[in-house]
This record gives sequence, structure tokens and C-alpha cells, in this order.
Amino acid sequence: MLRPHESTDSWKAGALAIAVHVFLLGAMLVSFNWKAAHPVLSVTEVELWDKLPSTKPVISEPPKPEPKPIVEEKPEIKPEPKPEPKPVVEEKPKPEEPKVDIELEKKKEELKKKEEIKQKALDEQRKKDVLEKLQKEAREDELREKKALEKKQADALKKMQQDMLSEENAAENKQANAASAAANASVIGEYTDRIKSKIRGNVNKTLCGDGNPELRFTIGLLPTGDFSSAPKLIKSSGNAACDAAVERAIAASEPLPLPSDPAIYAKFRNLNLTFRPNE
Amino acid sequence: MSVASDMSLLTLITGASLPVQLVMVILLITSLFSWWYIFIKVATIKRAETESEDFENKFWSGGDLNKLYEGITAGRRKPRGMASIFEAGFKEYIRHKQQGKMEVSDVMEGSRRAMRAAYNRELDDLDAHLPFLASVGSVSPYIGLFGTVWGIMNSFRGLSSVAQATLSQVAPGIAEALIATAIGLFAAIPAVIAYNRFASNVDRLSVRYESFMEEFTNILQRKS
Repeated sequence: MLRPHESTDSWKAGALAIAVHVFLLGAMLVSFNWKAAHPVLSVTEVELWDKLPSTKPVISEPPKPEPKPIVEEKPEIKPEPKPEPKPVVEEKPKPEEPKVDIELEKKKEELKKKEEIKQKALDEQRKKDVLEKLQKEAREDELREKKALEKKQADALKKMQQDMLSEENAAENKQANAASAAANASVIGEYTDRIKSKIRGNVNKTLCGDGNPELRFTIGLLPTGDFSSAPKLIKSSGNAACDAAVERAIAASEPLPLPSDPAIYAKFRNLNLTFRPNE
Repeated sequence: MSVASDMSLLTLITGASLPVQLVMVILLITSLFSWWYIFIKVATIKRAETESEDFENKFWSGGDLNKLYEGITAGRRKPRGMASIFEAGFKEYIRHKQQGKMEVSDVMEGSRRAMRAAYNRELDDLDAHLPFLASVGSVSPYIGLFGTVWGIMNSFRGLSSVAQATLSQVAPGIAEALIATAIGLFAAIPAVIAYNRFASNVDRLSVRYESFMEEFTNILQRKS
């Protein structure tokens, strides 16, 4: 490979060649920022949601059905008392039609009867008055009752609204104690939905076929949403490619969205996730 | 996928697939050899130039040709470059003269043939390794490109199994594949530059040798 007269230079040239390579490699290592700091910290993930994951939607629903039955009861109460007095009033004018004779005796009797009738009429008048009075009283009672009911209802509504407000405030203040069990359940539901939708976005659904396979994973989660342990497959879909695809998707979805509330996070520490990729 | 993937040079090289690594090793070896030859050629051509310069100075200083010849042959080293041409021609000339009764044209012809042979030997020495540099300069970019294409093919094949393709899934594969091209270019660029430079240097030297041959032939013809 080398000419005889070149052998004198070979060692020097070899050393120089190695030196050039070492120099270039060093220049590359120094000038390139090989371990460039990835802009991980500046990345913010944005997920779009129709509803806020707050306690609002669940609590606002129950008060609506409650007042309705109460309102419906009112028309039932009203017609009941009215038919009662009417038949009484109609029956009484019937005895007002006795036949009067022209004879004296009869006149006397007539007078008597007239007086009687007068008396009767007076009695009736009195009776009527009493009845009317009673009726009035009954109506007033009814009205009073109605008003009381309405007031009660309004109070109940007010109370509910106040409860809602206070709960909202509690959620805003992140006070775990104030949140009710129902609210907790709704938050857990919201976040499991969010976790599922995030995973679903990463699943290659073509690998899972057309059916509706169901998989179950246990995932150990840290409060940050990172995995404390690798997701474990409990129930396979029966399709190994599908299982692998979902597992990859879960790995790609790290970190998972988790509630900031430490009390609710406890439910996610060992998350049992039932997942249907084609849902 | 962890976002903060290690992108250091070492992990890029060790993380590459086997064909890409093989390409990198081949290119590194050729690069080392081409630089070695470059430095050897720089030294030998420089020496040949200074030697011919020295010899021309001595030759045209007007001294006795016999003395000059003795001075060259007395040295332990075998004469090189212009000196070896002079030695071959003058030796042939002396031999013909010693035999006597030779025609001038035959003597001249013989010494000229001897000088041409020496000239060819010298040129062959000067041209040594230049073909290697030429082929490194033209081929190593292609070898590097092959490694890169292979690496990119692999990284895209890996992408097919992911639903959401992000740049962070392709970037490491492409980066490690591009290292092969970088090494190829690193080997090729100096080789091409050196080849062109050495070729022109050798051309100039050969012209110098040829003109010396012509002039020396004239001098011998005048002597005889």
C-alpha cells in the first residue's frame, strides 16, 4: 500500500490523521448542544370540554323535579271545597213554593205561614250567612295554607340555591370537606371520562376491529398523573394487537389528567380502568 | 414516550440499527485512511518540489556534470525526482561513450530512453494513492446516504404503528441516520480537495521534469 520512500512519513501522517479526527469530533461535541433542553416545561396541554368538571351539573338537576309535584298538588286542592257548599245552597229554595188558599182560615194560616215563611226565610238567610262565613273561612284557610306552602317551597328553593352557592365556593376554595359525596362521584366520573378520551385519542382503532371489545387495566398513578407502575392488563379484549395498541396508547397518554383535589386523587391511586376503544 | 429523550452523540450512534452502524464504521475507516494518505502525499510532494528545486540550482550553476553525477551516486540514498532522471540519462550516456564508435544519434536515443523510463517511475510514485482519494471523494457521500436512507426507512416504519405521529417519535431516528451522511461528507470533502490539489501539483512537477529532460538532452548532444 505504501511506497518505500513514503514509509518515513507514515507515522507522522498517521498521527496527524488521528489528530484531525479527534479535533473534529471534539468540535462537534462542543459546538453542538447535544443535550439540548427540550422545551418540556413550557408546553401546556389544552383539552376542550363542553362542561366544567365541577359539581354544578349534578346538583342543579335534583331541585327541578322536586318543586313540580308540589305545584301540581295545588289544582287538586282547589276544586274540592267548591262543590261542597253549592249543593247546599240549591236545595234550600225548594220549600218556598207552598200553595196559598183565599179563605180566611187559610188567610190566617196564610199569615201564619207567611210569618213562618218569613221566619224560614230569615232562618235561611241566617243559615246562608253562616254558610258563607264558613265558606269564606275555609277559603281563607286554604289561601293561608297555599301561601304557607308557597313560602315553604320558596324557602326550600332558596336553601338549595344557597347550598349550591356554598358548595361552589367550596369547590373554588378546594376544600375537600365541603364537597358532597355526589359531587365527588361526579368529579371522579368526569376525570375518568377525560382519562379515557385522552387514551382514546392515542389508540390506533384499526387494530381493534369493528366489534366492541372491552379491556381492563390497572394503572398506578402519582398525583402528577405519571405512572407509579406500568399499566397492567387484567382483562384482555381477546385480540393481542388490540391489547398492545391500547397499552401503547396508555403509555403515550402519560401524564393522565387527574383532579387536583388530594381527597379525590385517592380514588385514582390504583385506577381500575375499563376501556372500550370503539365506544 | 418520554419527551426528554437522550440525544447525545454516543446514544445516537449506539441506538442506530446495525446496517447504519456498519456504514458509520466503514466511513470512519476510509476517512482515517484518506487523511493518512493526504498527509503522506503532502509530505512527499513537498519534498519532491524542494529536491527538484535544489537539483536545478545545482545543475544550472555551471559545475562539471561528472562531478555532479559522482555527487549523486556517492550518496547512500537512491536518488529521487529530477536527480534520478539525470542519473539514468548520464549513466547511459557514459556507457555508450565507453563502448566508443557509436553514432551520436544512437547515444542520444539510448540516454533519452533511459531518462524516459526514470521519468515514468518518478511519475508513478507521485501519482500513488491519488486514485484512492478520488474514489473516497466520489463514493463516500453515497455510502453515507445509504446509511441515512436505511435509518430513515426504519424510523418511518416504526411510525406506522402509532396513531398520532409526532415529531419527537421520528426525530431521534432521523438524527442518528443523518450522522451517517455527516461522516460520509466529512470523509469526502477533504479527499476531493486534496485530490485536485495533488493532481495539479503532480502535473506541474511532470512538466518540470519533461522540460529538464529536453534541456539535458540538448546539453548531452552538444557534448558528444
